[in-house]
Amino acid sequence: MSALLRKTAVRLVMAALAVGLIFGVWNLVIFAFDLKAYALPTPQDSVATIYDRWSTYQPLMLQTIKETVYGFLIGAAIGFFLGVAMSASKIVQRLIYPSLITSQAVPVVAVAAPLAILLGFGLVTKLVIVAWWVFFPVVVNVLDGLARVDRDLLNLARVMGAKRTRTFLAIQLPATLSPLFSGLKIGATYAVTAAVIGEWVASLQYGLGTYLNTAAASLDTRGVLGATILLTMIGITLFLIVAAMGIVATPWERRSTARRRTRPAGEMLVGHSVETPQT
Amino acid sequence: MNGSGPKVVVDDVTVRFDGVLALDELSLEIGRSEFVSIVGPSGSGKSTLFNVVSGLQRPSSGRVLIDGQDVTGETGHVGYMLQKDLLIPWRTVVGNIVLGAALTRGARSRDRAEAAALASRYGLGEFLDHYPHALSGGMRQRVALMRTLALKTDVLLLDEPFGALDSQTRLDMQLWLLSVYEDLEVTILFVTHDVDEAILLSDRVVVLSARPGRIMADLPITLPRPRGLDVLTSPPFMDLKREVLGLLHETPVAASR
Repeated sequence: MSALLRKTAVRLVMAALAVGLIFGVWNLVIFAFDLKAYALPTPQDSVATIYDRWSTYQPLMLQTIKETVYGFLIGAAIGFFLGVAMSASKIVQRLIYPSLITSQAVPVVAVAAPLAILLGFGLVTKLVIVAWWVFFPVVVNVLDGLARVDRDLLNLARVMGAKRTRTFLAIQLPATLSPLFSGLKIGATYAVTAAVIGEWVASLQYGLGTYLNTAAASLDTRGVLGATILLTMIGITLFLIVAAMGIVATPWERRSTARRRTRPAGEMLVGHSVETPQT
Repeated sequence: MNGSGPKVVVDDVTVRFDGVLALDELSLEIGRSEFVSIVGPSGSGKSTLFNVVSGLQRPSSGRVLIDGQDVTGETGHVGYMLQKDLLIPWRTVVGNIVLGAALTRGARSRDRAEAAALASRYGLGEFLDHYPHALSGGMRQRVALMRTLALKTDVLLLDEPFGALDSQTRLDMQLWLLSVYEDLEVTILFVTHDVDEAILLSDRVVVLSARPGRIMADLPITLPRPRGLDVLTSPPFMDLKREVLGLLHETPVAASR
């Protein structure tokens, strides 16, 4: 346990140093090029701005978080189901894959404006844009995960007289977990950027993205940087949450034994709280 | 367990893949609780024969009977184990052993209890909750065999189950399989490249020819059971080994005639 504690402490210190490094370089650039505050405020000033204008930022941030998280979830769900559907049928896969790749080759920024005309300037457009970006890495990874299931294992299941749905639930579905979370982590980093672009074209509700626009237009660089730091924090937090969920969902990748212990044979049907010492 | 006829009958089975003849009118009877090994050069259709008996592959002609019942092309009647352990990485040892139940009717706590008892009995008691990646190759194959036994089918098909292990572990596993076999009333059909392994384990060794697979010889192994390490160096063992090796190594000559 103390080893784990020390490891965590070391990591926290490293993380603090990493942030310190960014702020240090930032200050150095301002000093070296003698930048004025309206061109590039210091990180301290930018963080102070967040504090000063918290009452402005807070509702905007909640709006952006809402778009990011909902869009992310919709994109992840679409990506997952498309991946499963495409792996279930080669025909579906051949039919859909080209359009998926095309959807990512098309610059989203270019279709964002017509999309807003089509779907309106409200939440829907923003969710579509976020989901558009998030679903792709999810599909690709889920598809890969399902394709990598050993044919011999599926044959073994057949020899065992397995039902198709049970084979899917016990073998194929869990096989998508690790790649699914790889895809979700990539998607999580895209989601905030996508939400900002969504807010630029569909600005019925104000979020941090719309704030960026108006602040930039009035040369309010401190406001821009404050919003940018908040957006970055949303992205990092979403990534960390997804990564943590991935760790919880795939314990076999890190541990050598399951957390839930099988009681020793014999005592199995008697008591209900036989503790086996943790190794 | 009905009647006293053979447990498994392979009746006149022919398998053709895109014009290539893999098995040619092969017939084979395996008695109740008999251990039969099949040896033969690569491409002699050993694995094809297994796929036919397990029901994965429907033969071009011929039938497979288990307990006198026609099960040609039907899965779910035999246990099956390959050189690859095919353990599922996210399932623990117990979870892997109950896979058969999990895939058919759902694993109950009773299945898990039985799996734990089976694993404990055969030397895996301390590893019930381990994930496969934390086990050695030999232990993984033990789990794979436990998974096959837990199906409670009384016919087991083992296709080179120890082929990927180092020779020391392989010998340990062979002795271990002998003890498991001598404990249980199961019929085993075993494919191997290893002549020593075939003779050590079996009641009969069937030698297949190169493609198309035909039975060249069917040798009874009358070495007394229970068998141990000393069998491997006994004179009758050596005689049998000489005979099988002789048959196997004239195969290319016979095939080109």
